[in-house]
Amino acid sequence: MTKAARRLAPIPLLLVLAYAALVAGTPRLSASQVYAGLFGPGSDWLSTLVTQFRLPRLCAALVVGIGLGAAGALLQNLTRNRLASPDVLGINDGALLALALSLMLNPSGLLGPWWCAVAGALITAVFTLLAAGGVGTRGYRVLVVGLGIASLLRAGFDIALATLSIFHATGLYAFSVGSLAGRAWPVVKVAAALLGILLTACWVISRALVLLCLHDDSIRGLGVNLGQLRFTVLMLAAALAGVAVGVGGPIGFVALAAPILAQRLSPDGGIPVWCSASIGAVLVTGADLLGRIAAAPVEVPVGVVSGFLGGPFLLWLLMRPKAYGAG
Amino acid sequence: MKAPKSALLGVLLPLSVLLLAFASLSFGAGGVGWQDSLHWLLGASGDAHVDLVLGELRLPRLLKALALGAALGAAGVLLQTVTRNPLAETGLLGVNSGAALGVALGIAWFAGQSPGAQIGWALGGASLGSLLVLLLARAGGGQSSPLRLVLAGLALTATCHSLTAWLALVSTANLDRYRFWLLGSLAHPHAGLLWPGLVLIGVGLTAAMALVRPLSALALGDDLARALGQRPAPARVGAVAVVALLTGTSVALAGPIPFLGLIAPYCARTLAGVTIASQLPYSILLGSALMLSADLSSRLLLAPFEAPVSAVLAGIGAPLLIWMVNRDATLALMPAGSER
Repeated sequence: MTKAARRLAPIPLLLVLAYAALVAGTPRLSASQVYAGLFGPGSDWLSTLVTQFRLPRLCAALVVGIGLGAAGALLQNLTRNRLASPDVLGINDGALLALALSLMLNPSGLLGPWWCAVAGALITAVFTLLAAGGVGTRGYRVLVVGLGIASLLRAGFDIALATLSIFHATGLYAFSVGSLAGRAWPVVKVAAALLGILLTACWVISRALVLLCLHDDSIRGLGVNLGQLRFTVLMLAAALAGVAVGVGGPIGFVALAAPILAQRLSPDGGIPVWCSASIGAVLVTGADLLGRIAAAPVEVPVGVVSGFLGGPFLLWLLMRPKAYGAG
Repeated sequence: MKAPKSALLGVLLPLSVLLLAFASLSFGAGGVGWQDSLHWLLGASGDAHVDLVLGELRLPRLLKALALGAALGAAGVLLQTVTRNPLAETGLLGVNSGAALGVALGIAWFAGQSPGAQIGWALGGASLGSLLVLLLARAGGGQSSPLRLVLAGLALTATCHSLTAWLALVSTANLDRYRFWLLGSLAHPHAGLLWPGLVLIGVGLTAAMALVRPLSALALGDDLARALGQRPAPARVGAVAVVALLTGTSVALAGPIPFLGLIAPYCARTLAGVTIASQLPYSILLGSALMLSADLSSRLLLAPFEAPVSAVLAGIGAPLLIWMVNRDATLALMPAGSER
């Protein structure tokens, strides 16, 4: 297989999963029913079920997965560290805390405006940058600093949760596990638009992104302003993660696993952002599907599925003889 | 120079624990102030309301906080000695979440829980968790980075946490019972849990004191420890068993409490020096003092709301973690070349 073909490998898988996500559930639909629900003519309930429930949820899964996959790839390129991801660095928790704070200030709506998550993610990224004293190649250190910040923000979230009304607290608690059940069409549409803008920005800087796998001095030698480039990449990654958290809550390990899998598909050079984004979409869609059908009629939130599978994955990465992230 | 300082500390620390304990009796909801609690302590109060607030609510809470602080402070010292990792802490390494998973399993499988069974499930989870930590720490042949162990703990926590959430979410009844236990934290005296818990923590603390000598030898390295007539493997397994006992019991009593096992041993090391013999008692006292102050501030900070005590401790512990990691001296303790 050529390099390009291997990078496209997640796409057919994604199509299969997307089809399964529309078909599976209660009631189970046939292919013709899904088609009728999407494009008509079909009964009202069919069109409502497909266009108002299953399709928005699928789109939410895609937005979250693409956002997390791309954010993880950017961060891993930036830090040259295989374990850097927005959940380990506390960015996801910052986004969640921002949602809780917005609810404390303005208790309308159930989960708070989704864009607050983007703002929270950006602020947290700057904070982590300051606390870790740069995001260069500092091995595990930046990760454990991020872990500390994540716990701090989690504590803030717990305190906020204790002061919120029971109505908000219950909804937000379920959301804080990572769940795609919380957001409806209007939010998903706007979030998808912002995701498009951010991905365009990624495309614009993709040339400079390739340079990040070179030695610092070599990059400077090419006349690139390294500090500026790093800051741009960090902010982009944080915004992408913020969009994802705003839509689906802090779903763990997707942003960690997607870039690593992407690099397995195309082992040379840096981590391919687009490939990682599509793998992220595959992971979130697949985990959500699994959570919906595994324990039916009870729905397991997607964050529970990803955390359960992601923990052993991280352990496996750490236990490999040539540990990732050490260099 | 050293002796008067440690003597001073030896007086000041217990004194501050006593003061905090009295404050813990005197502040909080219920309209009972320090004069009332002083009268009550001297046995001069006949007021039924005061009896209720102090005897049924504040005193069990005070005892629980004291015991938990001592247990987690001691567990932190033991775990740090065994793994030779200044960042080792039951919360960061996933032992807490293992114990919490144990409790959730017990709730899901055997709905009607006796206090004994609850402690048993927590102990089982904590044992598995700490055994895994020991294996992970030994996996690198003692050459692994302290930071890597923390990340492995993150992985363990994530998996246990997801399983716990799943168990809690598959049935509403489970969720209610689990939440009742988790939210209980320090506030509700789970009837029947307190006294068995206190006894178990007492046993654990005694065993920890007994382990001081073998563990001090272990700190010199396995070969030297053998030369001193100690057997490293049993000492290590014994210490991990005590960690599991202390952690499991405290999680059964009050849910997972993070960072205390990091803060107390760290302060003890700074105040009393690096030997385990001096570090352990200080860490136990400091743990109690910290837990009492965290509990007090969790009650007073957001009154009439109550902030979770775990959040208050994370507010102190997380900055300490960041500072320790950023400071070079901490990392100088680890093998050369394992972190770049």
